[in-house]
Amino acid sequence: MTGFAKDFPILEQKVYGKQLVYLDNAATTQKPNSVIDTISDFYRTDYSNIHRGVHYLSERSSERYEEARKKISDFIGARNPGEVTFTAGTTDSINQVARSLEPSLKGNEVLVTGVEHHSNIVPWQMAGAKPRAIEMDEDCNLLLDSIDITKKTKLIAISHVSNVLGSVNDIKKITEIAKDHDVPVLVDAAQSIQHLPLDVKDIGCDFLAASGHKMYASTGVGVLYTSDRFSDLMPAKGGGGMVDKVSLEKTTYQEPPLRYEAGTPHIAGAISMGAAIDYMQKIGLDKIEKHESDVYSYARDRLLEMDNVTVYGNTDRMCGSISFNMDQIHHYDAGLIMDKMGVAVRTGHHCAQPLMKSFAIEGTVRASFALYNTKEDVDRLIEGIEKVEMMYT
Amino acid sequence: MTDAIQDEIIREFDGLEWLDKYGLLIASAKKLEPMDEDSRTDENSISGCQSKVWIQSYKRDGKLNFNLDSDAMITKGIMALLLRVVNNRYPQEIANINLYFIEEIGLKSNLSPARSNGLESIIKRIKEIAKNEALKDNV
Repeated sequence: MTGFAKDFPILEQKVYGKQLVYLDNAATTQKPNSVIDTISDFYRTDYSNIHRGVHYLSERSSERYEEARKKISDFIGARNPGEVTFTAGTTDSINQVARSLEPSLKGNEVLVTGVEHHSNIVPWQMAGAKPRAIEMDEDCNLLLDSIDITKKTKLIAISHVSNVLGSVNDIKKITEIAKDHDVPVLVDAAQSIQHLPLDVKDIGCDFLAASGHKMYASTGVGVLYTSDRFSDLMPAKGGGGMVDKVSLEKTTYQEPPLRYEAGTPHIAGAISMGAAIDYMQKIGLDKIEKHESDVYSYARDRLLEMDNVTVYGNTDRMCGSISFNMDQIHHYDAGLIMDKMGVAVRTGHHCAQPLMKSFAIEGTVRASFALYNTKEDVDRLIEGIEKVEMMYT
Repeated sequence: MTDAIQDEIIREFDGLEWLDKYGLLIASAKKLEPMDEDSRTDENSISGCQSKVWIQSYKRDGKLNFNLDSDAMITKGIMALLLRVVNNRYPQEIANINLYFIEEIGLKSNLSPARSNGLESIIKRIKEIAKNEALKDNV
């Protein structure tokens, strides 16, 4: 193991007799020792339920939970930790916003893009809104000059980075346009928080959703940034911990963030997000971005060189995922064969059926990268593709 | 209960590395007659598969036969094996058949409901058709 991969014990293994190359990072990332140890040590030493506890362990747990919130708040450039709510993940975060905004969304529309993950489409439909896509060119660049915001547009909900293509959307420009129309903006940062520095103040968004498990932390935990501007939103969930006073006649709620955290949260998960941020910051976000950009560009160049491979999307800035297909070869076959070559990729529609429809395809092979991937991993991916081709001829 | 065709398939796959198994499945797929375009309808398709799968059945001399096709070659190869085992048998026999060769040749992981090739859905559909035909036979 070389580079950052040595920090990730799972990557040491061989699968089917070959050194594992993990290129399914857009689905979930592996965990470094420091995160695994933090979770394990937390349960060994400090674990208890948080808040309201009068005893030592509860105080320790509460402190560590709030420390994690502060770390995330600083990491994404929030004004204060009160703007950061722990959720179950990006999907949960988006669903909570959909529930809270439901009265204004019902019968109206949410502006999205044609590359969205289903989790940034379905919750709006469930809230009674109609998602409408901002137009894009054939390379999947958003045509922001022709963006059409109407009286019915009650929210703009945009992925920062496509989980399929790796295209980076200009979210800052979108929030600038949105401000002229006084429409709030939600950023789905599930595929960007692990790759690009984020600053919600600079971006100017009102909501930002992200998952822990895609940024080297635990599964089942995520965050929702809610701008102070929306501090009095109706909570999406009710229960213990989020209330001020409860009577059978009337209940009043806590101030954010507790207002939005009903029930016992994923305490260890939240703390693991803090540990993951520590890990990334120790390496340095600039260094991570530079390394990932080198590997990503190399992968894209190698794939584009291949005669039998079609790569989807081509935007000014890209990171994370690359989707492609091989001529006359089903993505599922390609994925199965690559798996047996020790290369883990994902195949299918990647929860982005509208995007697949726009390409008139059923699915793609997706290779997605994390900080531990190297150019050697890309070489193994290319070998895998060559092997697939060989088996078909 | 053992079955001569299933045992023959198990022997063919015995000792093969994974990539050779896939090679054999692709070769079997290439030999399988493709279903004509008109029959590849939504009605004939089986959902729950990452690759598309189409199924048709017909009866000849009281015995049940199937056509299966897929847009992915490895899935189609597995279909070719299935057809060797289930075709030209009486409906009741197919309804009760134990497809042990799938586990024996190492494709058992393909059988779990979450697996994207939907082999389980395909087998379920084959057995449903066989059960219905068997019921008709008993009327």
